[in-house]
Amino acid sequence: MKLFKKKNELYLSDKQPLSTVGIVMLGISYAVLIAWAIAILWPLTQMVISAFNGSQEQYLMVNDNFVFSIKHFEYLFKETLYFTWVKNTIFIAAVTAVLTLVIVSFTGFAYSRYRFKGRKASLMAIMLIQTIPTFAGITAFFTLHSIISAVVPVFSRQMMLIMIYSGGGIAGNTFILKGYIDSISTELDDAARIDGCTSMQVYRLIIMPIAKPMLAIIALWSFIGPFMDYLLPRVLLTNPSSYTLAAGLFTLMSDFRTMNQPAFAAGGLLTAIPIVALFIVLQKQLVSGLSQGSVKG
Amino acid sequence: MGKYNAFLYDEVGNAYTRKNLYLHEIAQNQSALKSVTGADREKAISALRNLIRNKKNHPYNVDFLTYKREERNFLTTLNAKVKTLASNLDASMDPKLRKLHLDLIRSNEKKSFYKPYVALTYDAELEYEKHHIISMQLPEIIEKYAQTKKELVEARIKLKEINPEEERTFHKNLKQFIVGQRALYLKNKSKLKEKRKQKIISEKALRNGIIELKKKKKDLINTKKYTSEKKSTQELINNKKYVLTKGIRREIKVLKSNIADSRRKIPVEVTKTQPIYSRFTFVLPGLGQLLNKQYLKAMLFALGSAFVYFIAIPYALGYGNYQGDGIMGLVTLAEFGLKIDKSLIYMIEGIVAIFLIIIAFIILLLSYLDVRNVERKVIKGIRPRNAFETLLGVEQDGFPYLVSLPALLVTVFIVLVPITTAILLSFTGMDPKHQSKFGWVGIDNYKLIATGSGLAGSVFWSILWWTLIWTAVATTLAIAVGFLLAIIANNERIKGKTFFRVVYLLPWAVPAFITIMFFSIMFSPDGALTTLMTNIFGTRILIKNDAVLTRTVLIGLQTWLGSSYVFLLSTGVLQAIPGDLYEAAQIDGATEFQKLKRITIPMVLFQTAPLLVGQYTFNFNNFSIIYLFNGGGPFNPSKYGNLAGSSDLLISYIFKLTMENQYQAIGAAISIIISMGLMLFAFIGFKNSKAFKEERL
Repeated sequence: MKLFKKKNELYLSDKQPLSTVGIVMLGISYAVLIAWAIAILWPLTQMVISAFNGSQEQYLMVNDNFVFSIKHFEYLFKETLYFTWVKNTIFIAAVTAVLTLVIVSFTGFAYSRYRFKGRKASLMAIMLIQTIPTFAGITAFFTLHSIISAVVPVFSRQMMLIMIYSGGGIAGNTFILKGYIDSISTELDDAARIDGCTSMQVYRLIIMPIAKPMLAIIALWSFIGPFMDYLLPRVLLTNPSSYTLAAGLFTLMSDFRTMNQPAFAAGGLLTAIPIVALFIVLQKQLVSGLSQGSVKG
Repeated sequence: MGKYNAFLYDEVGNAYTRKNLYLHEIAQNQSALKSVTGADREKAISALRNLIRNKKNHPYNVDFLTYKREERNFLTTLNAKVKTLASNLDASMDPKLRKLHLDLIRSNEKKSFYKPYVALTYDAELEYEKHHIISMQLPEIIEKYAQTKKELVEARIKLKEINPEEERTFHKNLKQFIVGQRALYLKNKSKLKEKRKQKIISEKALRNGIIELKKKKKDLINTKKYTSEKKSTQELINNKKYVLTKGIRREIKVLKSNIADSRRKIPVEVTKTQPIYSRFTFVLPGLGQLLNKQYLKAMLFALGSAFVYFIAIPYALGYGNYQGDGIMGLVTLAEFGLKIDKSLIYMIEGIVAIFLIIIAFIILLLSYLDVRNVERKVIKGIRPRNAFETLLGVEQDGFPYLVSLPALLVTVFIVLVPITTAILLSFTGMDPKHQSKFGWVGIDNYKLIATGSGLAGSVFWSILWWTLIWTAVATTLAIAVGFLLAIIANNERIKGKTFFRVVYLLPWAVPAFITIMFFSIMFSPDGALTTLMTNIFGTRILIKNDAVLTRTVLIGLQTWLGSSYVFLLSTGVLQAIPGDLYEAAQIDGATEFQKLKRITIPMVLFQTAPLLVGQYTFNFNNFSIIYLFNGGGPFNPSKYGNLAGSSDLLISYIFKLTMENQYQAIGAAISIIISMGLMLFAFIGFKNSKAFKEERL
């Protein structure tokens, strides 16, 4: 018993003991952190509350009576094309992710491993092209679509959107992936080549498995993109049944006929939850993926 | 008369003496001509002329002609011979084997035919070498093939003869075995679990132990399965099939690469001294390759030819257009067209035509360069590559081009064509009154913007000013807040870090359009935040109706949104800073503030700088926050006209111009201006970045 007591009196931490100033500073730190956490959480909880508040009608207003109800969700599912929008978004996102992945995995590999003519110039061009906002070409997209769909009738507006998303993602993602592949030792390729691997086999059997973490991040980003973007769908897609989530939910806000703000909150909540879950689970990879690409590129 | 070299060279520069004695003599005379003068020179020239005049009677040429004649005779007889042999062979023979057999016979014959001519010409030497290699290696392949085939047939027969009864009993046994193994596995597993309960082993050991047991069970069952007669025979058949296809193919590849090696070592000798094919075949890609006897390449370039003459050129001339008139459409812009003809379509089709023509030109150029290159090499003595070598070369050197091709095509049509359209559009007069038909107006749009005049141009400068302020303040604030929070949260004495990190991640993770719209709802006259402020300040403040307040709230909102990302980024970097740096600083007596200033900030800034710069460009073009929060408003027609609101950024102004008010031309001009600005910004940043300088090129 005595022994234990002695131990408690000993200062065992490897941090220095806190001075009075230190305690005050720590208190301030906590205050700042908590204040900011409240600033973040308050609006978000408001959203959750209004999504479930049965006493809200078409407009969201402040009222103190809270009646739990899922009627806004019901409205969302029954009165709007919510599920069609979800389906559209997932389709667009998935195809975009796959296309981007296929194209970028090749270009990233080529730019990292080969010294070909025009490499530096095209890298520079890639870098510059990606700074031009997608916006600049917006007038042309319409017309381009009508020209292509005249030649290939199955080329829908959604496909145009997919092409724009994947085309726009090539430059930046090539850069990120190139940076990642640069960090993979070339000795691996050399060994594989000595064993008789062709370039394609080196790509498929050596580089791609090692680059998987970064490929996953690129796929994820390309997949999330269509969920986040609302501008292009709004401009390009004209039919509500071909809308993506963002464009569809916007109609609950912008159009008088379909205005229903609590339903928007409900839809936003449903959209945000899976994405937030994904971000929380993968936050380390997502952040490291970003900074890795930038530092190396 | 071209100049001949006395020696031939291969790719690595080894010299070979000429076997064509006639050319050799010419070459010697020509080189002698250089060193002599006066009367000797005259003599040498006449000797050379004599030589050329008597070309046909030169002993070497006579020999060579005989060789050629005999070769022709030999080949015809050989073909006939092989044909009769083929018809005599067993008809039931495997076709592949039969072909290999005939190849071998042919090679043996050829080998003995070419042997005496090896000294005469390099071509004969190559033929000899080639067939020597084949006659050495092919028998082995044939034997292997025949052997495997035989084994395969045997295995198949065996498979048929397996007694079904035996197989049934085996399966019964197997089932019992599996049941037994499973019971054993469960028993061992529960034993392990018991151990864990008694705390003899750790949780991890338990998990690994279970995995190990599972694997063991699986392995044993699999091994047992393969003792089945049926299963093992089936496996054997699969194996033999694999050898017959892939295995044999690999052997043949080795053979071909041996032949390719000898092609590299045995030079070629030709009489021409100038790359003449390339000069007259460049208009038709594929023809030159055909003349160079590179048939595979010729086929590929012929496809290129088809593209040039059946797609690119007709399209550029206006055939097969959707509505436009090829390149001419760019000039006329449908000026005299029908009523339904649209200038924009003419313009875009013209641009597409130009890109097609550029691609066509590149194909022609590549073909020309390829033919010329091969011809030059042939003159030097290097043999043109055969199909096998070409494929190998494409596989290795052409790989980066080949795999980047889809990316290039998508970029050209999805990125470059629209951007070019925007550039050209900015020189036209497309506005609400000229939607279907418009013409070129030169730099008028730019003039309007520069002087700040006109309906759309007048507000440009004030919007630009606000855009710059917005970009600078909103981004810097977000970075500062995010960074500050990261430093505070990284303090080792702070508890509940995980909680704070998850909460701080939320603004980044929730799709921005949702949060922005929800904030917009909350700031509406009856919204939650408006009510809250009314309660606090006592008066009702309508944020969205006041320009200054809207701008302030927008900046605050962007800080809320953007700090999250910076927080996560800086936290990642902060955690990676080695602790000894701080300890060393502490020993040297640094205060907390000094540590922050000298270690933390430089480290974080250095690593995240490119991304932070990216944040500035992002905010410069941050359309959604402006447009979704208040639609660019509040509107103030006396100051901002009817097209823009007082919180509009350039990007949302462009959106309103092009999409809502149909001032496409001037919108395009503004897009081009800001794109140029951003590109310059990126160029400077990129040029100075460490990564670009250190790039191993």
